[in-house]
Amino acid sequence: MDTSIGTGNPIDRVEGHLKVTGMAKYSSEFPVDKMLYAQAINSTIAKGEISSIDISEAKKQKGVVEIITYKNAEKLKTPDKKLPPLSTTSIQPVLQSPQVHYYGEYVGLVVAETFEQAQYAARLVKIKYKKETPKIDFKNHRADAYKPEEESDYSRGDVEAGLAEADQKLEATYNTPIEHHHPMELHAVIASWENGKVKAYASQQMINDAAVTISNTFQIPKEDVRVIAPFVGGGFGSKLHAKQHVILAIMAAKKTGRPVQLTVTRHQMFTNTNLRQHNEQKVSIGAAKDGSLTALAHEIVSHTSTYEEYQEPCGTVSKMLYKVPNNKVTHRLVPVNLQTPFAMRAPGEATGSFALESAMDEMAWKLKMDPIEFRIKNDTQTDPSNDKPFSSRLLVECLRIGADKFGWDKRKMEPAKNTNGNWLVGYGVSGASRAAPYQETSSKVILTLKDGTVLATIQMDATDIGTGSYTIIAQTASEYLDIPVGQVVVQLADSLFPVTPGSGGSWGAASYCNGARMACQNAIKELKQKLNVGDEKKMSVKELMTGNKLTTYEAQGTAKPSEAFKEHSVYSFGANFAEVWVDKDTGMFRIKRMLNVGACGKILNPKTAFGQIIGGLTMGAGMVIAEQTRVEPNFGNFITRSFADYHVPVNLDMANVEVVFLPEEDKIANEMGVKGIGELGITSVAASIANAIFNATGKRMRDLPITPEKLIMAGVEPGVA
Amino acid sequence: MTKYNQEDQSEERQLTEDESKILDQLGLFGDSRRRFMTKISAAGLSLFAAPFLTSEALGKSSKEELLTTTEAMLNEIKVRLRVNNSTKPLIIDSRTTLLDALRQRLQLTGTKKGCDHGQCGACTVIIDGKRKLSCLTLAASCKDKEITTIEGLATDDELHAMQAAFLKHDGFQCGYCTPGQICSSVALLQEARNGEASYVTEDFKNVRQNIELSEEEIRERMSGNICRCGAYNNIVQAIQEVQSGKEEKPKWEFATAEQMQKAKAKS
Amino acid sequence: MRPFVYTQPQNPQAAVSAAAANKQARYLGGGTNLIDLMKEDVERPTELIEVADLSFNDIKSNGAGGYTLGAMASNADTANHPDIRKNYPLLSMAMLSAATAQIRNMATNGGNLLQRTRCPYFFETSMPCNKREPGTGCGARKGMNAQHAIFGWNDQCVAVNPSDMCVALAAIGATVQVQQAGGKTRTIDFADFHRLPGDQPEKDNTLQPNELITAIELPKPIFADHYYYLKIRERSSYAFALISVAAGLQMEGGSIAKAGLAMGGVAHKPWKLTEAEAFLSGKKPTQENFEQAAELAMRPARTLPDNEYKIEMGKKAIIRALTQAYEKNA
Ligand SMILES: Cc1cc2nc3c(=O)[nH]c(=O)nc-3n(C[C@H](O)[C@H](O)[C@H](O)COP(=O)(O)OP(=O)(O)OC[C@H]3O[C@@H](n4cnc5c(N)ncnc54)[C@H](O)[C@@H]3O)c2cc1C
Ligand code: SF4
Ligand code: FES
Ligand code: FES
Repeated sequence: MDTSIGTGNPIDRVEGHLKVTGMAKYSSEFPVDKMLYAQAINSTIAKGEISSIDISEAKKQKGVVEIITYKNAEKLKTPDKKLPPLSTTSIQPVLQSPQVHYYGEYVGLVVAETFEQAQYAARLVKIKYKKETPKIDFKNHRADAYKPEEESDYSRGDVEAGLAEADQKLEATYNTPIEHHHPMELHAVIASWENGKVKAYASQQMINDAAVTISNTFQIPKEDVRVIAPFVGGGFGSKLHAKQHVILAIMAAKKTGRPVQLTVTRHQMFTNTNLRQHNEQKVSIGAAKDGSLTALAHEIVSHTSTYEEYQEPCGTVSKMLYKVPNNKVTHRLVPVNLQTPFAMRAPGEATGSFALESAMDEMAWKLKMDPIEFRIKNDTQTDPSNDKPFSSRLLVECLRIGADKFGWDKRKMEPAKNTNGNWLVGYGVSGASRAAPYQETSSKVILTLKDGTVLATIQMDATDIGTGSYTIIAQTASEYLDIPVGQVVVQLADSLFPVTPGSGGSWGAASYCNGARMACQNAIKELKQKLNVGDEKKMSVKELMTGNKLTTYEAQGTAKPSEAFKEHSVYSFGANFAEVWVDKDTGMFRIKRMLNVGACGKILNPKTAFGQIIGGLTMGAGMVIAEQTRVEPNFGNFITRSFADYHVPVNLDMANVEVVFLPEEDKIANEMGVKGIGELGITSVAASIANAIFNATGKRMRDLPITPEKLIMAGVEPGVA
Repeated sequence: MTKYNQEDQSEERQLTEDESKILDQLGLFGDSRRRFMTKISAAGLSLFAAPFLTSEALGKSSKEELLTTTEAMLNEIKVRLRVNNSTKPLIIDSRTTLLDALRQRLQLTGTKKGCDHGQCGACTVIIDGKRKLSCLTLAASCKDKEITTIEGLATDDELHAMQAAFLKHDGFQCGYCTPGQICSSVALLQEARNGEASYVTEDFKNVRQNIELSEEEIRERMSGNICRCGAYNNIVQAIQEVQSGKEEKPKWEFATAEQMQKAKAKS
Repeated sequence: MRPFVYTQPQNPQAAVSAAAANKQARYLGGGTNLIDLMKEDVERPTELIEVADLSFNDIKSNGAGGYTLGAMASNADTANHPDIRKNYPLLSMAMLSAATAQIRNMATNGGNLLQRTRCPYFFETSMPCNKREPGTGCGARKGMNAQHAIFGWNDQCVAVNPSDMCVALAAIGATVQVQQAGGKTRTIDFADFHRLPGDQPEKDNTLQPNELITAIELPKPIFADHYYYLKIRERSSYAFALISVAAGLQMEGGSIAKAGLAMGGVAHKPWKLTEAEAFLSGKKPTQENFEQAAELAMRPARTLPDNEYKIEMGKKAIIRALTQAYEKNA
């Protein structure tokens, strides 16, 4: 039992035992009686219409119970406008028409007694199509680009004028490819439909939003929807909302009258669980000789689907990270025949910062300035995008402390000058920022006293997707109730529990912990009131319970952002340092070490926080090493269709990583001073590595990923000796 | 809204009969499993058990049925699977992989499906002492073989040293790749004892037993287990500590007041 | 997966007879390629004949000074066998660069020789592919072909053989022993085992229907001192080669007595660089000679629209592998 009290201690994860023994249950693993297995069928064209469906062969297979296509699917709510913005509560109609919008779209579902039977029968459903010519690569359809409804363009000052007065100018275009989230746990659901009520064990990051989507799609009351996800095997944004497979499983459960398990295949994780879109980002920067920025424009062209709108806000960082009087950000979208993109870890920051922080490195090189000094020169304590003060901004400290610890002084300013045998050695740096949002969150605490020991149970619909929620919530309750962590039980991720914003957008830790704090504080306050003792009087929970002659007591609490929060810009900041060794011949490189310095508020548990940072660094490294989903130009399907084609980093790709947390007190962010960390870790990592590759080789790589093929074919940058 | 209730509800918080029943039902065969589970911290057990306290879970068919039910199968095969030292007779479809047999028929869901195509390592189990992928292994091929899954590594009430090290070094986040990582690491230690080589081994001709693996060696040899959460560094530390017996220090630190001062002063 | 009958024969004869009796039957080795392709619906056997458990799993000296690698021995056991590591380190190194520890524990030597291309069009049944479905066209030829061949391809098929083990075997030289129905056996020279697409891209090799591979015979120990297997890939491990080079040198009095050189990731079969090998024979191990060998080797290359990089990469890889091989134990 963990006897530590409070937050800040590097305790082991409270649910860790279950994970290392294989006892933690993920969505598809719940023992449910009379369960059927479902297998979804995907379209094999990118655009057109189903002309015929032959289920006869499939239907007569042993064990097949039901086959659902648009012909016999139940009517669901469909959108009332053409390109509705995709959000975490959007309805997810499926099998509603013969129309096909992209390759791999769900066109049917087979339900059978066993997994093997369902998989096989799904292959036997013969579907014919009337094909139309799809739009596949947005670069071939620029004329269709439009200004998305969601987030409008931004501008301050006059970029043209700023560029005109600059001593040095840079205009460069960066490309980040389509990426996929690929959490290790396949999306999965076990759904049942009983007496008009839905119950779904579903791998979701946001329990409440999933319930909303289900209720709105089926047009049933939200109270009749129960979503449960005590363990989620990673999400990274792909499990933010309940997707079509959840709807399919529920539909099948309703039709068959039996619980249905549907696990999305790894192949379908490419086609049906969203993606990070290809962004083409043009960055124009002007700077005076002394390094002060005069202008910064960040123009993004990307794609959305032909039936929903999503744009990744790549310009976020460019608006606020540096002091620059003239600034412009634009986003344009081209609807193409691919599924709708959606948020992937640090949407906007991860990709936008690759462009911005690469451009900053390029400009520093042009100015013959150290890239750290160049960034510091343009630091600001006021958010230039809205003139609000930052609640706390320690970017300069991150850069300086990092530089010292990393041995930045050993970096050679001139590229391609540091060699070691067959290796070219380079150092790179980048700055990072990620908003630290915080949202209304409720929680319940149940206190019990038994044999003289207080046990506290916290309930909320929060999720732990690997982020450490169970642990930090337990630590928070322990802190505010002043009892050991081992006497706290945390129960999460059930829609019967009080509502939280769920895990996403870096608000989890701050929201969950403050929510739990409120419940605990309320419990103590109420128990004191009952005893008529003043708030200031120190009494243990045990004394309060005994004093009130109670063996059990429940309290709720809700935390909300303060007024001060709204008047400030609240962000986490960081700096990343990378040492990269590039093979002089093969185009392969190894990241030798990284150092990440973060100013991200109160660190609730350095052990789990470290996990979040190295996780972000690994995914950031993946962006550079090999991650990309390629689209077949003639057919519009993903040619990278498996984990053997889509290369996420493996153990050997990573290297020694050190993390330094800056002590930061930011009570404006929220009462506990907690800021997000899960997305800060990935922000700008790609740029630091690409910048190190430039420093090692003199080759400026503007298109991710930086594969051996690209490195071998690239020439050195003009001006590199 | 606050609920005030003077009745004693504390019974609910204990390990109830229902909860123990669930533990059995989850494929935790035998008493030793249960003893082990009950030793898990109160926090762990309750959060784990809560979602099972549902009628459908409790109304689940008995263990016996699980092992023999056949759902109108084609090409039925009888196998006796020897898993974690206990033998289970099963009637399976010839197509059933070991992975699906473990997860769906034996309720041993500790072994994970991450890709089903040999491309991630989540399904790693130990078969006759060797780490293998259960997703590309037919259950039918496992006749007379000794299979160890994550559920079979701990003894009675003690974690396997590797499990303990993963816990201590936070060698996971979401936990989904973890059973595969741990099974893989356990087998890896045996491979090192056998003196097996890897691609990054310097000299293939120098055959020695009981080799101490460098960080680079561990990384290469563990590259068959993908962790999308990116816990690699912690995994490496856990393995290093088990292998060498020497304590691995955390790789995080807080900046000191002095460092903060210095950084401020310079600007 | 399609339904199939699972058969566990007691001995090789029984296995071959079973295969002879059913045209749609396949031998099951480690299953790492076959089961994967069955899940993809690319391979559609109606019967699987388990051979991994048959007795051909020894690794032993063969009396002629060479070694016999049992077809059913695992890749891991083969690569790690002390005699193989000492006598054929080039083979060990190549085998250990492949896949992962788990897969090498499962994969058999026989299965490795027969593993099929990783061409994504081949894997995706909704796409055209002459290898999977003769006559449907080659999707890659007119589509995405960055990973595809630069030697020996035609418009029928531009796929590459993915095996690392086979590249080393091509450099070292070997023969493949097979057993036929009726107990007859046959020996195939390794150079003739795999084939170019020609007008039968569906055929990867020269094995006859239902022939069972029983062993791979290695020549006398070779390249035991100067060897290197270079594998260029998209990530540092657990990825197939973009290009790989197996280089072995036999040195005598400061000169190269014999060179073994083969490339992977460039052709429908492991690509032996015969001309370069011949050129190097008798030469000094200098950078210039290595460069010339690389030029010679790459001269016949013909690129596809997306894989021009393979010429440059190939040259560099050859020079580098030769250099590393020479420097090893130099
Ligand atoms: C994710 C992944 C990554 C991989 N990476 C690499 C890599 O980097 N480099 C590399 O070289 N390989 C790699 N491999 C491929 C692996 O090496 C092969 O799959 C393996 O060698 C095949 O052997 P097996 O015994 O499993 O064959 P099986 O899958 O059992 O069989 C393959 C074929 O051979 C036939 N067969 C098997 N044994 C015999 C026999 N004795 N006689 C006649 N026919 C037989 C089968 O009928 C089948 O058609 C990878 C595989 C996977 C899944
Ligand atoms: S290259 Fe060969 S395997 Fe690939 S699509 Fe063409 S025919 Fe098929
Ligand atoms: S599930 Fe077996 S390797 Fe991924
Ligand atoms: S812990 Fe989540 S994938 Fe490894």
